[in-house]
Order: sequence, then C-alpha cells, then structure tokens
Amino acid sequence: MLSDIKVSCSPHISGPLSTRRVMVDVIVALLFPMAAAGYYFRIHAVILIGTCVVSCAAAEWLCCAIRRKPSTLDDFSAVVTGILLALSLPPRIPAWAAVVGSVFAIAIGKMVFGGLGANVFNPAMVGRAFLTASFGMLMTTWTTPATLDPNMSRIDRGNIIAAREHVIRGRTQATPLAWSKMAIKRRLGGETYDDQFFAATVTGEVGGCLGETSAIALLMGGAYLLIRRTIGFHIPLAVLLSAFVFAGAAYLKDSWTYVHPFFHLTSGGLLLGAFFIATDPVTAPLTRRGMWIFGLGVGTLTMLIRIVGEYPEGVMYAVLLMNAVTPLIDRLFRSVPVGGKPNV
Amino acid sequence: MRLGIVRSRSFRGGTHAAQKKELTREKPIEPGPAVGEVAVMLSQHIGSTCRPVVKKQDKVSAGQAVGECDAFVCAPVHSPVNGVVREVALRSHAVLGRSMAVVIQPDPQENPPKLPAAEMFAPDFDEEAYSPEQICDAVLRAGIVGMGGAGFPTRVKIEPDPRFPKDTMIINGCECEPYITCDYRIMLEWTGRIAAGIKLAKRAAGCSRVLVGIEDNKPDAIDALRAALEAGGIRNGIEVLAVRTKYPQGGERQLIKAILGKNVPAGGIPPMIGVVVLNVATAAAIAEAVVCGRPLTHRVVTVTGEAIARPGNYYVAIGTSVRELIEFCGSVTEKSAKVVLGGPMMGIAVADLETPITKTTGAITVLTAEQIGKAKFERRRTACIRCGRCLQVCPESLNPTRIAHAVKSNLIDEAERNYMAACIECGCCSYVCPANIELTGYIKTGKIFLARQKKRMPQ
Repeated sequence: MLSDIKVSCSPHISGPLSTRRVMVDVIVALLFPMAAAGYYFRIHAVILIGTCVVSCAAAEWLCCAIRRKPSTLDDFSAVVTGILLALSLPPRIPAWAAVVGSVFAIAIGKMVFGGLGANVFNPAMVGRAFLTASFGMLMTTWTTPATLDPNMSRIDRGNIIAAREHVIRGRTQATPLAWSKMAIKRRLGGETYDDQFFAATVTGEVGGCLGETSAIALLMGGAYLLIRRTIGFHIPLAVLLSAFVFAGAAYLKDSWTYVHPFFHLTSGGLLLGAFFIATDPVTAPLTRRGMWIFGLGVGTLTMLIRIVGEYPEGVMYAVLLMNAVTPLIDRLFRSVPVGGKPNV
Repeated sequence: MRLGIVRSRSFRGGTHAAQKKELTREKPIEPGPAVGEVAVMLSQHIGSTCRPVVKKQDKVSAGQAVGECDAFVCAPVHSPVNGVVREVALRSHAVLGRSMAVVIQPDPQENPPKLPAAEMFAPDFDEEAYSPEQICDAVLRAGIVGMGGAGFPTRVKIEPDPRFPKDTMIINGCECEPYITCDYRIMLEWTGRIAAGIKLAKRAAGCSRVLVGIEDNKPDAIDALRAALEAGGIRNGIEVLAVRTKYPQGGERQLIKAILGKNVPAGGIPPMIGVVVLNVATAAAIAEAVVCGRPLTHRVVTVTGEAIARPGNYYVAIGTSVRELIEFCGSVTEKSAKVVLGGPMMGIAVADLETPITKTTGAITVLTAEQIGKAKFERRRTACIRCGRCLQVCPESLNPTRIAHAVKSNLIDEAERNYMAACIECGCCSYVCPANIELTGYIKTGKIFLARQKKRMPQ
C-alpha cells in the first residue's frame, strides 16, 4: 500500500477533452459535407478525399521521421487538414495534383513551423493557395453533380445565361459565383440567375469545390461543432454577419448588378470557411474580442474580393490574410484581468 | 433580470468539474483517531513562523501554546493533547517542503478527540456580551487562521483597520472543491456555532452587513444556516444567499463578484473594496475561541477519494499525520496512487505520509491510479493548439497559455506583463486543456522564479 505514490502539481484531475478528441469532433462534423460530396460527385469525392487524407498523413509521418521526432499522426490533425483540403478542391482534380497540394499543405504549411500549434497559416488553405497559383487551369475546371444529367442541354435546365454564353462545354459546369462574375462583366445583370441558383446552392446541386456546394450539409456540420462546443460561435457569426452586411450593402446599392446577399452566403466556400477553416484554433486569435475582429476581417475581405476584386471567390485569401495578422490581433486585444490592470 | 429571469449569482469563467461529494456527503462528523504522536507545525499560516516556547521533555497540556510570535501577521500554535514534547524538529510540510514542528507524545491515557458540545451556542446567542476588543483578543490568542485553505491570520482580517474601513462581511460556505464536504457537514451539524461566530466576527469587524454565500447544491445547509441566523429574531444585516455551483466559486474574489457584483482590484485584497471574507469553519472556530476560550487545536477533515476504504468526515487533532488518518479510515485499497492534502483541484500531493495535518487542511483525498493516470500520465501531451479554452475558463480573465509559455521559455518579465501575479492558481486552465499542458504548474513555477529574482535584486 502507498509504496508507489506519485507527486505532481495541482490540479490532480482533468477534464475529458483532448487534442485528439477535438480533431475527431471536427472530422465527425465534416462527415456532413463529405456525405454531400459523395452524393453529388460520387467516386470523385471518394478518390479525392482518400488521396488527400492519405498523402497528408504520409507527409506528416515523413516530416516527423526527418526531424527524428515521435510521430504526431495520432492527434489526427493531419486527417483534418487532408479532408479540408479535399473539400476545397475541384472534384475532378487529378490525383497527382491533390498529392502535391497535400504534401505542400503539411510540409510547408505546418511542419516547417514546428508542427501542430506552431503554424501561422491554415495548412489546408496553404495547400490550396499553392495549387491555385501553380495549376490555375486545374483549379477552375468544375464538374456537374452526378445527380444532374450531363447530357441534358443547358436550356432545359433553365440556365438561359449559360446557353447564351456558350461558355460551358461537356461535363463541366461553372460555379454559381463565377457565373455571377461573368454576368456582371458582361452587363447581363445579377437578378437573371440568382433565383434559380439559390435553391441549388442550398442543396448543393451545383458545380463547385467538392465540399463547398451544399450549404445544408455545411450548416449541419457547423451546428454539430457549435453544439459540441468544439468551436465558439464568435468567428462563424462574425464572418457570416460581416459578409452579409457587405453583400447586402452592395445589393442595396445596385441590385441589378450584384447578387442577393443570401446567395453569397450559401455559395462558394463561405460556409466551409466560416465554420471549419476560419475557426481553426491554431491560426485564429485567442481572445473573444480578437475572434470578433478576425471573423469580421475574413467576412469583409471575402466580400471585397468577390464583389470588388477580380476573383469570383475569396475565402481562401481572406483566411490567409487574416491568419497573417492574427499575432497582431492577439497583441492588440490582450485579455484584461478581472478588476482591471494592476498598478505594478 | 428585469424580464423575470433570475440569474444565479456567479462569476465569469470557471469549470464544472465532477463533484464527487457523494462519497462523504451523508457521513456525520466522527471523532478522529487517538494518535501516537502529534507534530504541531510552527508555520500553519501566512506570515511569520512561530518560535517554539517549549523544550524537549517539557510537559504540555491540551490547549497550551507551544509556538508564539510577536509579528503582526502571525498566529500562535497550540498542543491538541496532554503529553510530553519529544522534540522540536523538521517535519515535511505540505506547502513549505520542510519546516520546524513541535512533536508531542500524548499521554498513554489520552482519549480520541472529543466532539465539542453544542449547548454553548443557543439560537438566541447574544454577541453584545463581548466587546470587539475582547473578541479580537480571543481570536488572536486562539491562533485562528483562515481555515478555507489560505491560512491568513483571522485577527488581522477582522480587526478594524483605518486604511481599509470594512462595511461588508462575506461568509464563505461554498466549498467548491470536488470531494470535500467538511464545511458542508459543519454547516449542518454546527449551525449554532457558525451563527454565533458570524455574529461575533461582525461585531469585532464593525461591519454593517453580513452575507453568507453557499453553493446551490447544498440547499439543506442554506436552510439550516438561514434558520439559525434568524432564530433569535430578525438579525439586522445578516443574509444567507445561494450562489451557483461552479468551481472556483469559493475563491474569495469569485465569491465577492458573485454576491456583490464587484471586482476586487487585480492583485489587490478584499479590504480595498471594504469587504472581509471568512470561511464557515473559521466562524465556528471564532465562536469556540470567544465563548469557550478554546484554541484552534482540532478541525474537521474530510478523508475521501475512491481509493479510501472508509471515507468520512473526522474531527481530528491538528498535527495528526496523514498516514495515521488514512490508516484510521481503514487504510487504502491497492489502487491508490496519489495522496492529496486538500481537494483535487488545488490540493497538494504529498510524498511523505508523515506530513502532519495543519489548520488549513480541509481534506485528504486519495486518488486512484486510473484517475490520475487519465489526468496526468497516460494521456499524451500535445503542443498548445491555441484553442483558447484556458482563457475562457480563467476566473481572473488571464491568458494562461501565454503566461505558461513565457515561463517555459524563461521569459519571466513577459509572464509578468501578462499579469502572472493575478493568477489565483485555481487549476481551471490545466483542467480543461485538451493538450494536457500543466498551465497552472508553469504559472506557479513562474511565480517562484519571480520571487527569487526579486530577492536577488537590490531594491
């Protein structure tokens, strides 16, 4: 009895939460958009997610081996990165490109900084940015959801703009946001298509990145994270609110040119970004006030890029830019102790 | 509040750790063991260490002072038994590592500690019979210190101080630490004594009102104390309030926030906002000291934990060793792995089972290998994932991860800039950390480093 008692600092008990459990929670939440991706893009979804997850894990293991450190695979953060990267890529991107993106995401996006917790930028977004910069063509080739008949003519589906523009051939379909951009440039007006598309962007039956199309699935995943308290509501709310206000202001100013703000919320990567990417704890600020500023920045920058800038989509750059200023936000919004700053 | 939603009184942050109070909740206070040796530590409080006033081979009687001190912030210590001083020597001390103690060999015919009688403290107890000076003097002579854990000499707290006029007294009956039930039991069983102590302390401190805060998971204690305090007619300015069950509700800063809605300045003390906080056990000790002239030589200790065969609340002599108390409780099962003086959140794990109980020891918690394994040793530590949970639970709104990492990198000034000194060491940050980082441990270490640096630097 009591021959082998241990001594350590208090507290002597601890809560049930672990890093792995946080990551597993995120993976569970990502099952919703993964299921939607599987439904709409079938085998492509399976191949892409599988490729990204396996190559992210392999890259992490390799980096640990090179650094002669114990493998950190068991915290599952590489799996989360792999899934997030896969969900933000076009469904039919070649497997080799997915592997390149995954390895870049883990090796350059995370491990060179020192691994989990030390990276400045969201690894999945680093991988995606690398692919966008290197293989622009592959990153903008979209696939029609398998639930739509690929041989069906565009006019049958009521997509007058598409028929008029003759821009889409074969099995590819431009994303709703790209269409809105084209329409603005060609002075066709935003209202002609957003009503048709709105329902499709909610269910996910549109072209786009693998996991970004279905707003419902993303909202369900986000709700799961919020209910499990894996993430706080501050960042998603700030992102969506600021994006909505920005898009709403543009819409009110010129409702013929700019699409409805709800359309902006449901399409593109905004929901995936708001619930899964901007909330990455490592690259987001620590304090509540910092989180509000961070979310505000992501939402506003996204809309700035979408509405004013040249790209149809801006979540990735918005997140990366705000990641870069996270240390500054943390410095500006320090936590103030209860009872005010002491006079020391 | 205007809309009819009654928000329970509480503070920002904190955790809801498993209570585990059911182990000893229903166990009435029983007399502790008659021990073979008592070691009365000469430092059981914040402030100067006492000097021994007895020598080896001296005969001492129960209640006789064995250590005294002339410093203002100090409290004398007394022998709990009749016996002979065996030696004045070093003993393991939970907080100080090793410290001097007067070791007393009790007389062979010495009985187990007797529970004090309750008749002295009738419901219509009249504190007016004692003058404030008389009360302060009795409290000083009895060596009463804060029995909630900090051990600040009570006389210093209740004596009127022209610098900090006190108008409100808060009585702390929260007992927010998991496992511990000693305060709960005395609130139920020694209600009259606590009520008398509260009235005496109020009179000594000259406070206009007294607010008793008890967590809402102890409704019977709330009712009992309410009844006792209002028994002798409506007492002006004494009120019993329920506060929300949340750790660390019993921290004095947190309790003041919950009850008064006021914050004590960071790094400051309650008298700065005119408040004095006393624990219920301290109140009971004050009543015994003033009315019966009994010094503080015994206290109720909860011996608990899944690894204890016979958990319970025991009235034990201060100076009893942890080993004797554990053996008295039917020894421990083989699963035991850690012996903690106090509760699992803030208690101190002891390596030496001969460590004696002091005035501030409310509990001995013996944890199983499985419990501590999960908490400390089996679960892998990962890098900080910056999730910010430590910031959310910190009751003092600090940034624990930043302080801890500054300490880890030996950047003590950076830790200081992030208000390390304001940390109350409640352990909430370590408790919630998914990366299993010992944030509280780093912060405590940082405070020690800072103290050493300051000592080395000439002012």
